[in-house]
Amino acid sequence: MQNRFLPYLLTLPSLLLAAVVIFWPVWDLIQISTHDVSRFGQLRDFNDFANFAALAADPDFTAALWRTGQWTVMVVGGALLLSIPVAMILNTDFYGRGIARVIIMLPWAVSLTMTAVVWRWALSGESGMLNSALIGLGLIDHNIQWLASAETAFPMQVLIGILVTVPFTTTIFLGGLSSIPDDLYEAAALEGATPLQQFREITFPLLKPFINIAIVLNTIYVFNSFPIIWVMTQGGPANSTDILVTHLYKLAFRIGKLGEASAVSLVMFAILLVFTMIYVRLAMREQRT
Amino acid sequence: MSLAKWTAGLMAGMSMLAIAAQADAGEVRVTVAEYSAKTAPYFADVKKEFEAANPGITVKFEVVPWDVLLQKLTTDITAGTNADLSIIGTRWLIDFVQQDVAEPLDGYIKPDFKDRFIDTFLSPSIMDGKTYGLPIAASARAMYYNKELFEKAGIAKPPATWTELQDDARKIKALGSGTFGFGLQGKEIETDVYYYYAMWSQGTEILNKDGTSGLSTPGALEAAKLYKSMIDEGLTEPGVTSNNREDVQNLFKQGKVGMMITAPFLSNQIKDEAPNLKYGVAAIPAGPTGARGTYGVTDSIIMFKNSKNKDEAWKLLDFLFTTEQRAKFTQGEGFLPVNKEEAKMDYYVNNADLAAFTALLPDARFAPVIPGWEEVAQITSDAMQKIYLGGDPEAGLKDAAAKANAVLKK
Repeated sequence: MQNRFLPYLLTLPSLLLAAVVIFWPVWDLIQISTHDVSRFGQLRDFNDFANFAALAADPDFTAALWRTGQWTVMVVGGALLLSIPVAMILNTDFYGRGIARVIIMLPWAVSLTMTAVVWRWALSGESGMLNSALIGLGLIDHNIQWLASAETAFPMQVLIGILVTVPFTTTIFLGGLSSIPDDLYEAAALEGATPLQQFREITFPLLKPFINIAIVLNTIYVFNSFPIIWVMTQGGPANSTDILVTHLYKLAFRIGKLGEASAVSLVMFAILLVFTMIYVRLAMREQRT
Repeated sequence: MSLAKWTAGLMAGMSMLAIAAQADAGEVRVTVAEYSAKTAPYFADVKKEFEAANPGITVKFEVVPWDVLLQKLTTDITAGTNADLSIIGTRWLIDFVQQDVAEPLDGYIKPDFKDRFIDTFLSPSIMDGKTYGLPIAASARAMYYNKELFEKAGIAKPPATWTELQDDARKIKALGSGTFGFGLQGKEIETDVYYYYAMWSQGTEILNKDGTSGLSTPGALEAAKLYKSMIDEGLTEPGVTSNNREDVQNLFKQGKVGMMITAPFLSNQIKDEAPNLKYGVAAIPAGPTGARGTYGVTDSIIMFKNSKNKDEAWKLLDFLFTTEQRAKFTQGEGFLPVNKEEAKMDYYVNNADLAAFTALLPDARFAPVIPGWEEVAQITSDAMQKIYLGGDPEAGLKDAAAKANAVLKK
């Protein structure tokens, strides 16, 4: 059975499935975003990309676009930096490793919305846990209103974003680390390599494909992440913590501008598509050389 | 898995979809908002009683959290899978009427049915002379004050004007120990409304007579300056923009806030959660000319134009608006009576809290019936948040008025 068409034939079912669940909605979005559309999604006339023009003229949209970039870079970057050492520690053999692994993975098991709700309470100004803890430790002498302004709310949201991204990233890295044979380290140690050299010459290069996967998957996931910001501030006060996906939700379901919301959605889709293509290309070229 | 099994699974899935899309004859589907933990049990009882009294009709209630109700309705209507009846915010009704999805109920309404309602609450659901909805829930806002804090601060009676309110707030602040004079809401739903209380007392309306935004008037500026000065002076709770209505209500229940403006349901919550709290309900303070305003809200239950079981749906509406059913629902949720007979019941007549609310009804303003109202409200909330965070009131209001006028012109 060495038919040249066999691979295509075998991928056909999944391609069809993808077409139904991905291409169809995207087509729908294109339709809505390029037409005048009623409050309840009935299409009217083609409107010369007026929805996209409205977005470009909207300072809230450009601010949200820029903030989405910051949000994604900080959360994905922070999670990567934190996950590599965590994964390396969890990969070594020590007493209680099982429990440590469970603790690291636990945030993953809790729904994102629930995590965000708990943090919203914890960050409450007058009755929040964080303020009472900090006062108890003598670190601050009056309550900090964490969620009252973007200066404190957005960094906290980024930190929580990192916290919930770590388990998934660590899992990927643990898989990567366990695929590195131990004899490499034994040989390096015999040759007198320091732990730092071992990390730079063995661990990091061999972990690279896994880091690439983690970057791509996390970027897509964090870029589209809705619950943390929505539950804690709804993008406020005065849209100062909005990212594209919360901006989109308000446009569509608060104000009822389905056309503009679909346009935002397409812009997000395009950004992610371009990012993924460029990144995968770069990563693959690197691997070939 | 064999191909046959796949096909079988696929067919089963398809047929389930087909069943879901096609409503049974005699089935009435109703989307209802979840106002509190008592909503779902109430409608479960309705289902039981109504089905027992009307064999052949089954009722299916979909209880949806208030926050996602509009989202659910939007997607349902877009997909054509909406229920037969739905509760909606009356301020959304104009969109439903303009998009031609709401069925006028005049053909079903008999004079004696119409006579059951208090006019103030039925009239917001009437558009162009046609009744598109029935007020299933009605509410207004009044000022709650903490009697214990008032006594400690040596204040004899609740403030009648905003100037008195400021003085009282200063006295309560002087008590120290983490007490705040005036609870100011600065986040999420009704942030704009909290500002209108001060604005209405300046004689300014949301819309000027010519239909433009009232935000650029001197009265609107006075009101914004009033709230900002109270924040600057520390007369409100700190971090105003991090507190939504529930957060401020919680501070009130904990006895940390001297005064706040909110809906009658806070009385029910206090009864359950803080029964020892000594509080009173008073009118919203008046402005220098004696003007004052409260926010009146109704939610309407509407029938969809594409409903296939309109007669059955009407029977259910008729049942829901009997005095007995109304009393059960309204008292459970802590709303105001919309039904004349119901309003005469001892429960309402002898209730001092509710009396304060009904006394304010002549001053009640309902959300203006204009398309794009939600966007204007959002613009106002955003502007207020900027001012509460330290922005310049004059520039902020001017900017917001320009944005609102652009929406209103459409």
